[in-house]
Amino acid sequence: MTNIVPPPPLLKVEHLKVYFPILGGVFRRPVGEVKAVDDVSFTVNRGQTVGLVGESGSGKTTIGRAIIRLTQPTAGVISYQDKAISKLDSAAFRPYRKKIQIIFQDPYNSLNPRFSIFEIIGEALEIHFPAMTRADRRERVAGLLDKVGLKRDHLDRYPHEFSGGQRQRVGIARALAVNPEFIVCDEPVSALDVSVQAQIVNLLQDLQEELGLTYLFIAHDLAVVEHISDYVLVMNQGKIVEAASAEAIYENPQHDYTRKLLSAVPKL
Amino acid sequence: MNSISLSQETYTQRLWRHFHADKFALNGLRIVILLFIVAALAPFLANSHALIRVADGHVSFPIFLSLEPIEWRFLLYVPLAGLVYFFRHRFIAHPGIFILAVIGFIAAVEIFLALTHPINDPTNDRDRPASFKLLPPIPYSPIESTPDQFSPPTWKHLCGTDSTGRDIAARMLHGARTSLSIGFVAQSIALTIGIALGGLAGYYRSWLDIGICRFIEVMDCFPPLLFILVAISLFESQNNMFYIMAVIGLTSWTGVARLVRGEFLRLSSLPFTLAAKAIGANDFRIIVRHLLPNALGPILVAGTFGVASAILIESSLSFLGFGMQAPTPSWGDILSDARRYIDFAWWLAFFPGLAILITIMSYNFVGEGLRDAVDPRLKMK
Amino acid sequence: MTMPLLQVENLGIHFGPTVDPVKAVDGISFSMQAGETLAVVGESGSGKSVTALALTRLLASPPARYVSGSIAFEGRDVLQLREGELRSLRGKQIAYIFQEPGSSLNPVFTIGYQIREAIELHRPEVRDVTAEIVHALDTVGIRNPASRLGDYPHQLSGGMQQRVMIAMALACQPKLLVADEPTTALDVTIQKQIMDLLKDLKRTSNMSILLITHNFGLVAGFADRVVVMFRGKIVETGPTAQVLQNPQHPYTKALIECVPKLGQKQHRLKVIDYAGIQ
Repeated sequence: MTNIVPPPPLLKVEHLKVYFPILGGVFRRPVGEVKAVDDVSFTVNRGQTVGLVGESGSGKTTIGRAIIRLTQPTAGVISYQDKAISKLDSAAFRPYRKKIQIIFQDPYNSLNPRFSIFEIIGEALEIHFPAMTRADRRERVAGLLDKVGLKRDHLDRYPHEFSGGQRQRVGIARALAVNPEFIVCDEPVSALDVSVQAQIVNLLQDLQEELGLTYLFIAHDLAVVEHISDYVLVMNQGKIVEAASAEAIYENPQHDYTRKLLSAVPKL
Repeated sequence: MNSISLSQETYTQRLWRHFHADKFALNGLRIVILLFIVAALAPFLANSHALIRVADGHVSFPIFLSLEPIEWRFLLYVPLAGLVYFFRHRFIAHPGIFILAVIGFIAAVEIFLALTHPINDPTNDRDRPASFKLLPPIPYSPIESTPDQFSPPTWKHLCGTDSTGRDIAARMLHGARTSLSIGFVAQSIALTIGIALGGLAGYYRSWLDIGICRFIEVMDCFPPLLFILVAISLFESQNNMFYIMAVIGLTSWTGVARLVRGEFLRLSSLPFTLAAKAIGANDFRIIVRHLLPNALGPILVAGTFGVASAILIESSLSFLGFGMQAPTPSWGDILSDARRYIDFAWWLAFFPGLAILITIMSYNFVGEGLRDAVDPRLKMK
Repeated sequence: MTMPLLQVENLGIHFGPTVDPVKAVDGISFSMQAGETLAVVGESGSGKSVTALALTRLLASPPARYVSGSIAFEGRDVLQLREGELRSLRGKQIAYIFQEPGSSLNPVFTIGYQIREAIELHRPEVRDVTAEIVHALDTVGIRNPASRLGDYPHQLSGGMQQRVMIAMALACQPKLLVADEPTTALDVTIQKQIMDLLKDLKRTSNMSILLITHNFGLVAGFADRVVVMFRGKIVETGPTAQVLQNPQHPYTKALIECVPKLGQKQHRLKVIDYAGIQ
């Protein structure tokens, strides 16, 4: 035992609940609710990758969206560096938009088809650094493209000119534009070919080492999650059924559902 | 599938390429543009004043005496807008001088119009002696009664004359301005209201959406023509052109609003909108930069069809006698006159009917071409 | 040796301009015996889906151009058939299941109605169509099938929708089932169920299955033989076990290696080195 007090976790989720009302009738009154996330708690330490694995409808995407405030939690507290961020108003949350970013699953719908690559990646800079000149922004975006393995002459191209894997790289560059600390990776490789999936997973790991990023990696494929994560949360029907290190999940799964996920991974 | 269609063209270029390949749409657009040019130049094409007149050694341009203030404004402000657009980059560099110049020009025009108009100039150059005169192609003004009543189409009166001897060709050319501008302005009003309300409903959802949707349903319960007739009879004293435009616009926005609401509902749940929220874009930015440009295709299609239906509504109103006031020519008005003499004066109904048919068809072809061009399924073809 | 069920010879399919076209499929040849299960593996853009659609000329021409070769199904060249003959080939002889089960089913009709339509179209001799539908749904592992006939597609999950698609394909008793990325849009747990179902069907019927996939992980333990496609060409073909254990072509090797494996945590996943592939 050491006497060193461990640093506080970067992100702490406590008793998070997200319920969606089911609306009905002419005036669309709530007639019931869906418990998408039902009392979930976990922490993510700086520099770590925490994997969140489960099937569609398990609530894993909702957790990611609640963290980045695309969905309002029904109850519970989300803290970032020991500060509760889930109840801040949108102006107070604004600084956290620079610290917490997100990468989406669908490479075809996650980029505005009417924007050039420069506009897509540069928009966050325009919003958060209004003093930056256009030339500076172009320079910064070109640097980001280089980081994610795209070329400078892609700047003025449009999303439809790119393959799924390249689009996902653009999505990653957009998330990196504001120098975030924490990135919610919402099924970033689920829609990609396995060959492209490997490239994107490696890119995310390279970027993590280079920039000291922290990831919440959401996926339904335990093989990918086990590869990239330090710690794995298994989710089923809105609840976390098992939480353990990546090795322990594979070597000694405790919950039936985890075993089911493990057995679903295709074996070569 | 997607890898095959990778190309470098932007959305607008693709839209134009598909539109261009559609011969009906392209010709429809050509006709619409031609109609607008004809309408804009109507006073120079059909007028009893000479374009150029030389008499007693004096050269004069009597046609300018016949222009109404609104025609002067159109003639001077459209080129002004063109100039401002052309020099917009210098405008950004020297906004002060630029604004001053524009305001000065407008002030000069307005003062000139206020001092010189109204001009009551009944002169008729057609019959006045002169050593040289150049008359417009149709040398009659639309409100002028000639002695030839019920003249069938002849070389003198290309489309014949009506019961008071007014030249139908002249009335048609000037009527085009009424019909086209009503279609355009009324639909602009409808689009503005429709985009604003539909956008708010689709983006903010919840109670705002419920309220706006119920409002649209209530509006849609009334037959539009009935609605318009009631509105017009309430303000009977003021049924000028702008009033008709406003009434048509205010009653025909519901379709656009539904469409925009649907598009915004769809677009605002797409990941790229979520991504914009995640990087901290505010609502205004998301609506104006992300949602509207992506919804523009379908809005444009609806707007084009809407113009056609606004022109039809105006014609119906004029036909029923609720349209423009007497001297102002409009196609529906000529048609309305034709009703009484249809058994012998076929040309009174034929020409305005044909003009309405061609205009509506052209607009519909343009609309259909646009609809096909914005259809995302085309990407696969 | 008997005549193969399907024999593709030197098939070439181009898109785009005639000068410098996109050669989506560039002179490929392969064959399938009756009852055999063949997997075509390749990345997006390799031409594997184009090949699958070409088997019944589902790929419209234009824009596609069938520039060379032949597709012989039971000895008849599909590329020479008339439209009417093609319609009796599609569904009845060669049935498809696609990646998106949700958009392959018509949302306004019940699943019972949609399967009934397929049976009535292709097997007019069937007397008791309802029993046949129930049987088909039972075969694909839908519990209590008689009570599900009135369900609409949106009432079913993605995995169930794909089962219905398979049931619809099976109801016509095709000789060849083409499964074009049947599990790509599904969760891995559902993917396993669907693949297990296809394995069962393979065992219990004499139907041939052509599996189109980008994931070598699905091929092992399923396909008898594998065809690996890269940029419109076949780079390797052979019995599955042999290809997996001893891939000859560097591309095949890379494609096998990039599949993440449980319990073998590497520092980085293997990626395909395109520069090293000729």
